[in-house]
Amino acid sequence: MNDLLALVVQQSVNGVYLGCLYVMVALGLTLIYGVLNQINFAHADFVTVGAFAAFFTATRFATKVLGLPDTGAYLLSMVAALGVGALLGLAVNAAVFAPLRRGDELRPLIATIGVSVLIENGQLALFGPIPYQFDSPFSRETIRIGRIFFSAQSVLVVAVSAAAIAALYAFMRFTFLGKALRAVAQDRETAGLMGINPNLVIALTIIIASALAGMAGALLGPVVVLTPFTGASLIVKAFAIVIIGGFGNVQGTIIAGILVGIIEAFTVQYLGSGLIDLVVFVLLLVMLVLRPTGLIAERKEENV
Amino acid sequence: MKLVFRLAILAIVCAAFGAQAQDRVIRIGVLMPISGPGSYFGVMGKEGIDLALDQLKGSVSGYRLQVQYEDSACSPLQATNTVKRVLDQLKPHIVIGEECSDASLAIAPILEQAKVVQLNAGSVTMKLTESGYKYVFRIFPNGEQQGLPLGRNAYTKLGARTAVLLYEKTNAGVDSADGFEKHFVAAGGKILARIDFGRDVNDFTAIATRIAALGKVDVLPTFGLEGQQVRLSQALAQARVVKGGGGSAVQMGSIWLPYGYDQKAGAAAEGYIRIVQFDPTEKRKIVQDFVKAFRAKYGAERVPTHINAHAYDTMLLVAEAVRRGATDSESIRDRFSRFRNVEVTTGKISFGPNGQTTDLSVIHFIETQKDLSWKGLNW
Repeated sequence: MNDLLALVVQQSVNGVYLGCLYVMVALGLTLIYGVLNQINFAHADFVTVGAFAAFFTATRFATKVLGLPDTGAYLLSMVAALGVGALLGLAVNAAVFAPLRRGDELRPLIATIGVSVLIENGQLALFGPIPYQFDSPFSRETIRIGRIFFSAQSVLVVAVSAAAIAALYAFMRFTFLGKALRAVAQDRETAGLMGINPNLVIALTIIIASALAGMAGALLGPVVVLTPFTGASLIVKAFAIVIIGGFGNVQGTIIAGILVGIIEAFTVQYLGSGLIDLVVFVLLLVMLVLRPTGLIAERKEENV
Repeated sequence: MKLVFRLAILAIVCAAFGAQAQDRVIRIGVLMPISGPGSYFGVMGKEGIDLALDQLKGSVSGYRLQVQYEDSACSPLQATNTVKRVLDQLKPHIVIGEECSDASLAIAPILEQAKVVQLNAGSVTMKLTESGYKYVFRIFPNGEQQGLPLGRNAYTKLGARTAVLLYEKTNAGVDSADGFEKHFVAAGGKILARIDFGRDVNDFTAIATRIAALGKVDVLPTFGLEGQQVRLSQALAQARVVKGGGGSAVQMGSIWLPYGYDQKAGAAAEGYIRIVQFDPTEKRKIVQDFVKAFRAKYGAERVPTHINAHAYDTMLLVAEAVRRGATDSESIRDRFSRFRNVEVTTGKISFGPNGQTTDLSVIHFIETQKDLSWKGLNW
């Protein structure tokens, strides 16, 4: 493999891995929009909560209380993050989203900003601002194939992202609840007339999206700089991906996430890492001008 | 009637003394990042200042030290708004802060206009003390003061001939990188690339890949926040660029990086060389007393960082100015200007005409060993 080809393959691998991280964050965001027509500004903070849940489960509970080895402790921490994310979604929906849904559309939107600030500062009070060092046994292992390298964590990220997407797809297509969810996305009132409880389905959507965010946090924790503000550094990029992909469109989000990851990697290589945001947001503007519906524009009921 | 008259006089005298005691206050505004990615600066800074206040029992020479902490978030906008509010409400004689260069630069002209002393202990940017401000003082070595030993020693002692500069896209990052480049190139070295990054960058694999593709790189001067430096070092090790990953390049860092980075970066930190201004193992009595007092207050397992020490020193300097007769902003400025070799944990402070500390005698180089301990380099 010559130098240029090796470099292109390596940056493509880096990009796909980064893209999968973004997809994991953006997936729940687009799911909520697809069903509720609502933007959740607190979504990335759910990711941070998941990361902290995984950190404390892995480093305190699983290893010190249960005596699990590092690998078992980290895998358990992913399950814990999933659960904590789901519980957080349940609580936030019951306390904030559900009561405000009856009014105009702006109130829940503003409320999500409030929830975001609340979660960030709550975590700041609980965990402090000093970055936590969260290493998984996978992040310490480097796999080398010829001149190409990647961490075992990146393989895990890609595998879990693919599994989560497949599970979500199967849930949407082949289960009654998934069909109910799509029916509510298509027409909430008619779905209600067909015997579906829209409030239950909406709560379920928020719980699934939040659980995905928690899981994303467990995967991201050993990769990013873990502080109470980790989510804030991801949310803008996640929104860009959701818009580029087509707001509320899961397939579009997956493609856009991986595309943005690859663009970022090659921007670092050929233009400079300081221009990452510029390139991504120029792409966003171009998409809004040329194809405002996003990469994949489908009928609304097909989105989720 | 006579007794009433005497009691009245006594009451007036007591009231006068009380009012005088109330007036004998040095009001100190402390602007630190308590939220956002740089908030560890604020937390550690507050620890240092609180410790100094404890030791001073809150007063010096009959003057009470009234401290008001404010969150300026490492952000120029928030720092600007905060300093205006502090000036309006607290009416400080001195403001300590900010830590981040961009925020420090934002508040400097406001404090200059208000004729309030700004004492800085964490910013690197040259502009802070090179813009002609008369009320700015800084005990943290600037980009040039750090760049000179870093650039020159990288060439002469380390034998490096090629470098890739890695720095965050802020005034601090740019000035630090410029400082290194100036002296490294002057010595005969070559800069292969300048790679900047924003504070929102989380994954450094693509940057490490780019550096690996540049061929042989001898030294990687790195200027960024601790969390990003940890991830950057790990990515460089993964790409087999630096010694910690089996490569040949040496990462070099500035005083910026706090104690504890090595433990967080793990094996990737092996071979990392940096200059330090505060070294908890230094034998000077003031340093060892500080370390002992810090552990007594915050826990035996804690090791104070340079951020703790710099903040602690700011309060010692304010106290010293008051001991020498300072009572307000003008006289604090006057006493600071006349400081010569005032000993603190981070050196012996003498301010130059521009308010910049001139003594760099305690600055030295250390290298991270395989067991992540520090080894002093005789550079």
